[in-house]
Amino acid sequence: MKQSENPKFLGTEELLGWDEVTQGIVLESFEKEVENVAFLKQEERPYSEFSSFTASVADWRVIKPIFNRDICIDCQNCWVFCPDTSIISRDKKMIGIDFDHCKGCGVCVEVCPTNPKSLLMFEERKDIDEALSEWPEKKKKSKEA
Amino acid sequence: MAEKMELDNVVVWDGNYAAAQALRQAQVDVVSAYPITPSTPIVEGYGKFVADGYVDGEFVMVESEHAAMSGCVGAAAAGGRVATATSSQGFALMVEVLYQASGMRLPIVLTVVNRALASPLNVRGDHSDMYLGRDSGWIQLDAFNAQEAYDLTLCAFKIGENHSVRLPVMVHQDGFITSHTAQNVHPLQDDEAYAFVGEYQPLDEMLDFTRPVTYGAQTEEDWHYEHKAKQHKAILDSRDVIDNVFAEFEKLTGRKYNRVETYMMEDADVAIIALGTTVETARLVAEEMRKEEGIKAGVVAPRCFRPFPFDGIREALKNVKAVGCMDRSAPGGALGALFNEVSAAMHADGNSALMTNYIYGLGGRDLTVDAIKEIYRELDSNAKSGKRAGKIQQFVSLRGPKLEYFE
Amino acid sequence: MSTIKKIRNLKELSTANDRFEGAHLLCPGCAHSIIVRELMNCTDDNLVISSNTGCLEVCTAVYPYTSWDTSWIHIGFENAATSISGAEAMYKARKRKGTLKDPDAPVKFVAFGGDGSTYDIGFQWLSGAVERGHDFTYICLDNEVYANTGGQRSGSTPLGSSTTTAPAGRVSYGKKQMKKDLVGIMAAHGAPYVAQMSPNKWKDMLKKMQKALATEGPVFLNAISACTTEWKFDPKDTIAISDLATDSLVFPLYEIINGRELNITYRPKNVIPVKDYLGAQGRFRHLFKPENAHILEQWQKAVDDQWEYLQRREEARV
Repeated sequence: MKQSENPKFLGTEELLGWDEVTQGIVLESFEKEVENVAFLKQEERPYSEFSSFTASVADWRVIKPIFNRDICIDCQNCWVFCPDTSIISRDKKMIGIDFDHCKGCGVCVEVCPTNPKSLLMFEERKDIDEALSEWPEKKKKSKEA
Repeated sequence: MAEKMELDNVVVWDGNYAAAQALRQAQVDVVSAYPITPSTPIVEGYGKFVADGYVDGEFVMVESEHAAMSGCVGAAAAGGRVATATSSQGFALMVEVLYQASGMRLPIVLTVVNRALASPLNVRGDHSDMYLGRDSGWIQLDAFNAQEAYDLTLCAFKIGENHSVRLPVMVHQDGFITSHTAQNVHPLQDDEAYAFVGEYQPLDEMLDFTRPVTYGAQTEEDWHYEHKAKQHKAILDSRDVIDNVFAEFEKLTGRKYNRVETYMMEDADVAIIALGTTVETARLVAEEMRKEEGIKAGVVAPRCFRPFPFDGIREALKNVKAVGCMDRSAPGGALGALFNEVSAAMHADGNSALMTNYIYGLGGRDLTVDAIKEIYRELDSNAKSGKRAGKIQQFVSLRGPKLEYFE
Repeated sequence: MSTIKKIRNLKELSTANDRFEGAHLLCPGCAHSIIVRELMNCTDDNLVISSNTGCLEVCTAVYPYTSWDTSWIHIGFENAATSISGAEAMYKARKRKGTLKDPDAPVKFVAFGGDGSTYDIGFQWLSGAVERGHDFTYICLDNEVYANTGGQRSGSTPLGSSTTTAPAGRVSYGKKQMKKDLVGIMAAHGAPYVAQMSPNKWKDMLKKMQKALATEGPVFLNAISACTTEWKFDPKDTIAISDLATDSLVFPLYEIINGRELNITYRPKNVIPVKDYLGAQGRFRHLFKPENAHILEQWQKAVDDQWEYLQRREEARV
């Protein structure tokens, strides 16, 4: 799980003067030279303040997904179908949710194939441990899609 | 490796071919272009250079002028020297991209062969396309003959690519009158020309993979204003760079360009301000008026139309009593652009010269020596009597009842 | 040197390091980013990407943020294909002249556009770029509507869809024209590779994306992008709706090589009725009124006809 202590919500940036905005509205993604960013994990990258990676849309959510590591089979469905790059997967294993960037759309839950699901949506303020302790049992012969 | 050409000291080139040669000598990396009369020969000439091995860069013939400028912008963002050519309808079609290019601070050189805007459809020379681009954020330089078309195109690269400028530059020349008239030109040799323009120095290039950059972001109401203000400052600051480049060019060739060109203005009582080939005709007439009629006539031209030389115009016309602002573009319900901008410069300090707007030469209608003589005589009468002889806006050499407006 | 990453399964794909960052402004559940992420994950090559004005562009580059970890350019609504043509031409010129910072670094040029910019306002630009044969891939993110500006009809909007400029009302059932067959049009350009793909079939989409990047010359890919906001379904159902789309054959998945060899790449085990697909979306709700029953019939017939056509063309190899 990833969640910043001091999230940078969109629209809260300091408003700068004409002399401080970038030339030609050009935005650089990193603050240092990078060799080939495709070979660097997100946590290894020198993101600039202009990268949306450094911002948070946590305030978009009203519901959030909670991840149950014990049930998950690391199929990577949730990772591939997440529209917000918010499923953290490393070395073919599910690590957790990036709560700075998750918008609570619920696609990950829908595509999770396990029974019971390894991801379920809960109300935003739900305590994670409480949610895990309330996890539903395996469904028997369900006609659910 | 591109082949070099050996050029004579004096050649006979028309304005189009002169521009094409300048593009060749600048060793442009990407020319993304579309043909339109009367600028087509620039693109054809360049295409022939490519076919004969004189060009190392890419030559992309796209499917419209909008695409031509779009290709230029993409190529410029990828970090290399870029140029194209167009006129009139093509210019109008790419207007949206002109604003985008300057907003993104990308150096591009556009050689515009000025032609009237339809309707009616007309392929001849007038300045309606040049005026259409006034607010696009481009630097605009005006050539009055083929030599200047060649010289200013070389200068344009150097000006626009300067890292403190980073703006696209247009070089204008009159359609047909300059573009298709063979004239004597003193060219630089290939090595000299390229050495003057210099090697392209990339900035924020998309092909530097160690530093990915995003071009063309959106700005909401909380950021847009600062960016546009910064852009305005950049084009105004470019005045110093333009002056420096002109000075350097003079050292190299002996030909001196100024953002405001003045002719016999030291003691002038009356002056004509104009753009394009009209400037040269007016100079000829001013000499005759002095000799034959004792009228102290002078000529002023904003060689650099954008950034508008507000100070230079004010300075050049400060002692003049009557000014004829000649606009070669359909005024569309207002006074001509040159009239408006020059009058503003004059009156900002309460200068009380009598300003008259002469609309002329639309769609390539010839402006004769006699017509200009009439203008000088009227200006002289205005200056001597302190009252305007005619109305503020007049159409010159127009068949039919006299058309004039505002007193 | 560019190599196509060998990806045998989803776990292998998941080892890719995402170069499309979160905290963009796309709607929760938007399929655009699923498609873009997969494109950027299917290769480790450097990418130079362009976008037309549209949801993707407007949501990923609003000053002072960018969600792109590769170089990216947006000029206007029409010209992503041309801006990438210019960048590709510059790459060729600079490579020839030896002025590239890293001349051996592999790079791919990709343009993205919505259906509005691809089928309509930017069609000429796409056509020109493909005719000129630039080495690039164009991906149309097709949500069948001008989504970014609130859902106006486009040349891709299908029959009977209710949009804000062709709404369903008392006397109208929505759009009266059929959807343009852009994949067929681009194949007729003689492009070496064109295909239709859908994010729910990630493996089929991956193969097509990798083939696109490996193909020299212009490639056109049409990606169905189910739009929770304009198609009017719950954000969590993006993949489910895409499943209905591909399994009803409303969006058949196929490819055409060199304008002649058509291969159907997905044959659903059970083909579901078109009205199940239509019924799951608010934009077609009005078609279930009794007076519009003939439109539903027309729909099923059109889908059946198109499927028949694709199979025949696949067989005939034309």
